[in-house]
Amino acid sequence: MLRQTLKLAKPTRLFSTSVIARNSVKTPKKFKTAKNLSEVHSEYDLIGTGAQKGEVPTDLEQATGLERLELLGKLEGVDIFEQKPLDTSRKGTMQNPILIDSYEKYRYIGCTGSPAGSHIVMWLKPTVGKPARCWECGSVYKINYLGKD
Amino acid sequence: MSIETRSKFQLFPSHEVNPSPWPIYMSFSLLSLGLTLGLLMHGYILSTWWLILAISVVISTIFLWTRDIIIEGTYLGGHTIAVKRGLNIGFLIFVGTEIMIFIALFWGYFHSAMNPSIEIGCQWPPVGITSIKPTELPLLNTIILLSSGATVTWAHESVLSRNRHNALLGLFITTLLIVIFVLCQICEFNSATFNITDSVYGSIFYATTGLHFIHMIMLSLMLAICTARMYVYHFTATHHVNLETTILYLHILDIIWLFIYIVFYWWGC
Repeated sequence: MLRQTLKLAKPTRLFSTSVIARNSVKTPKKFKTAKNLSEVHSEYDLIGTGAQKGEVPTDLEQATGLERLELLGKLEGVDIFEQKPLDTSRKGTMQNPILIDSYEKYRYIGCTGSPAGSHIVMWLKPTVGKPARCWECGSVYKINYLGKD
Repeated sequence: MSIETRSKFQLFPSHEVNPSPWPIYMSFSLLSLGLTLGLLMHGYILSTWWLILAISVVISTIFLWTRDIIIEGTYLGGHTIAVKRGLNIGFLIFVGTEIMIFIALFWGYFHSAMNPSIEIGCQWPPVGITSIKPTELPLLNTIILLSSGATVTWAHESVLSRNRHNALLGLFITTLLIVIFVLCQICEFNSATFNITDSVYGSIFYATTGLHFIHMIMLSLMLAICTARMYVYHFTATHHVNLETTILYLHILDIIWLFIYIVFYWWGC
């Protein structure tokens, strides 16, 4: 029992090798700060220039990572996380379904009919091969796959 | 930005935290602190070194956990607008629970004070208890707390209008005022003529003011952290959740103190 526990508790990596692993990552020493969304290519473009000495920085100077991506999107009026609700101005049909942008091969959709709130939420799962049809109002949703493969 | 680039970044605004040892570490260190305090006060442990050990473990866990949050929020940029809103709402709910604790203690006070039982001489404060005069140290404490509210507002306004010097000064003065308050409370507790075992008066008095006192110690720690983070340029003019929550905490403790002052020191003396 104790031996099994010790075997499980054995660290996958020692502290000394952690340092080697950390040093082997090729982090660039200088960063090119992206001014707008089109200049963003990797996470290293999302590092701010930093605060001016003796001043309280602004978000644009200091934000990094996802926060900066969101901020750059806001400057251009783009909602990076696409948090808007789906189009409910019409009912989707098999010929003309409501398209759902997705980087995954399936999404979970909560349909409340058209106009929104016509019926209680029906949870649907459209996949890349198979559009989903709401069993309350018959609206059709189809995945618009944006991923690579 | 191309679709390919977008797919490299997280698609949703929430912050997925990594596996962290600090919650369980904090639980056990708080358990140890509580047990040590209880056993020490009832004479089962005779050495205060255990208490110092427990407190230092709690403080070190606070330090390491806060460090991780600062790395996630300030250096890795994990705190998007949705996450910031979530943190603020979470803190608001926490403050709500704090208010409920104090409401319970006030309830206990009024229960005993408004209809004093025969055992305590049908009067409040009970027979033989010399209560603390509200016009002495408690009045000074009230003034200190109210002025700390003013200085922290000045500091916040300075952060919003990007005046670093005033912000630092305001935060430093606020920290100092809270530390002075804590020292004054220690003075008052030491020089009071009754203690926690002296009838229901002593029990409820020290339970409430003591709980407020512990919160003030925590607040001075939080303010010190805020001052340090202001000094090393962590706070931007629009993103300073740490500062916002600390200010909210300070104001709530201010208001609770005002009620304590009015009810415990003034009305109940």
